[in-house]
Amino acid sequence: MLQVLIQGLLLSGLYALIAVGFTLIFSVGRVLNLAYGAYLLIGGYTYFYFSQQLGLPKFAGVALAGIIGCALGILKFQLIVRPLKGNHVAIEISTLILAVFLQSVVIFVFGDSSKILLPIIPGVERVAGAAIPFSNLFAAIASWVILISLWLFVRSTHMGRAMQAVSMDAKGAAISGVDATKINMFTWALSGTLGAIAGVFFASYTQLYPGMWVAPLIIAVAVVIVGGIGSIIGTLIVAHIVGFLEILTSAYIAPELRGVFTMLLIIVILVWRPSGLFGREEL
Amino acid sequence: MALLEIENLSAFYGKAQALHDLTFNVEEGSIIAMVGANGAGKSTLLDSIMGLTQTKGDIRLDGTPITAAKPQDIVVKGVGYAPERFNLFPYMTVRDNLLVGAYTAREDIETNLDMIHKLFPRLEERENQETVSQSGGERQMVSLGRALMSSPRLLLVDEPTIGLAPKVCLEIADVLKRLRDEFSLTVLITEQNANFALSLAEQIMVLESGHLVASGTSDELSSDERLAAAYFGH
Repeated sequence: MLQVLIQGLLLSGLYALIAVGFTLIFSVGRVLNLAYGAYLLIGGYTYFYFSQQLGLPKFAGVALAGIIGCALGILKFQLIVRPLKGNHVAIEISTLILAVFLQSVVIFVFGDSSKILLPIIPGVERVAGAAIPFSNLFAAIASWVILISLWLFVRSTHMGRAMQAVSMDAKGAAISGVDATKINMFTWALSGTLGAIAGVFFASYTQLYPGMWVAPLIIAVAVVIVGGIGSIIGTLIVAHIVGFLEILTSAYIAPELRGVFTMLLIIVILVWRPSGLFGREEL
Repeated sequence: MALLEIENLSAFYGKAQALHDLTFNVEEGSIIAMVGANGAGKSTLLDSIMGLTQTKGDIRLDGTPITAAKPQDIVVKGVGYAPERFNLFPYMTVRDNLLVGAYTAREDIETNLDMIHKLFPRLEERENQETVSQSGGERQMVSLGRALMSSPRLLLVDEPTIGLAPKVCLEIADVLKRLRDEFSLTVLITEQNANFALSLAEQIMVLESGHLVASGTSDELSSDERLAAAYFGH
């Protein structure tokens, strides 16, 4: 039971980090970024390339993954979202195509076989019979530090308040002097950074392979739909519901059914409460 | 001296023309009211000044053209806007709504907050309340406060009394007069309630179907039988 609790907490923190970048884009830009999983893909491979192939320090690899994710977010905003402004269907289709394109690029450069990421921090600690890999513990703690920092940033800074303002009332933000285009670009950059860093943690939790962008995208969509579109707090709570659901399913039913109950939960929430459990248009 | 000059201003929503060649000035330190029925183009006029609609013609603030400038640049140049529907941030507190208004005037936050709390003591008492749970009158106060947080020289207020109780209307009128008299602000309001406009403004303009059909002091307009019957109820 303790092992389930610990595994659930570790996984849920990571899921919250994965989902929050997706939530940011939807709240501020009103766009379902279906290429969001590609940030994780690129983040994971960037870390692999710099830290395992070139031998740079692991934390430099994580930082470089974040920088590449940030650049990818800005490029996506400038080259796809801005030109297609207002055409949400076109943006969503384009981002999905971009994810498939990036997967092909990864296969071309690194091959299609899966890779094992060496732990960011090697070693395992046993607590009351529960095995806790330091790498997973680090990923969970780092996720929480990032999430708390993000929450404080959104609540207490001018830029964070401007992001909330754009997400709640674009005209109100504009007449307050907020440049929605800049805020949107910043949000895409932030989302790319968070997604890429989450990708390093996710790949070290599972494995690195070209199709790894799909599972995190489904997790992000699930958390956002169940939690309610646009709520950081809702995202955190539901990330824990989804994380624990998966761990409990793996432990007590069958590991193969791990994601099935998450899907069922999405359907139930969509039918019963389409606005999500905590849905309201805020960050 | 004119703070705001409007010359041959037309505004469009796609192919539909909402304003037709409006020309008028707003003198510095005055309160000017634009009255008209629903759909006359009052909100469109204020949106146009703020750069929120597609326009033709010239808009100058203190002699500087602001036609087709971005809203954020117009705010920086000194125009504050309290729109009819408030456009507040519903799940943010009163204080955070006001702080968003200070996005372009961060160095003046304490001074402006102090001024707003003096004008609307209720906002200080309820600074941690989300605006979604506030009354219409309180939201109007937050909307005006948010506009004032940008340290404007010209304040645009769209239908400040719509849906508000008479007591709150008097409170708003008092605040607008104080902004002119104590803080040297220039105020341009739009109103359907012509008597409210008469009680407040030095000059009143009448807008009908996007056309400026009359302009003058309250005495001048009241003496026009057609306008008096149509707008001033006597």
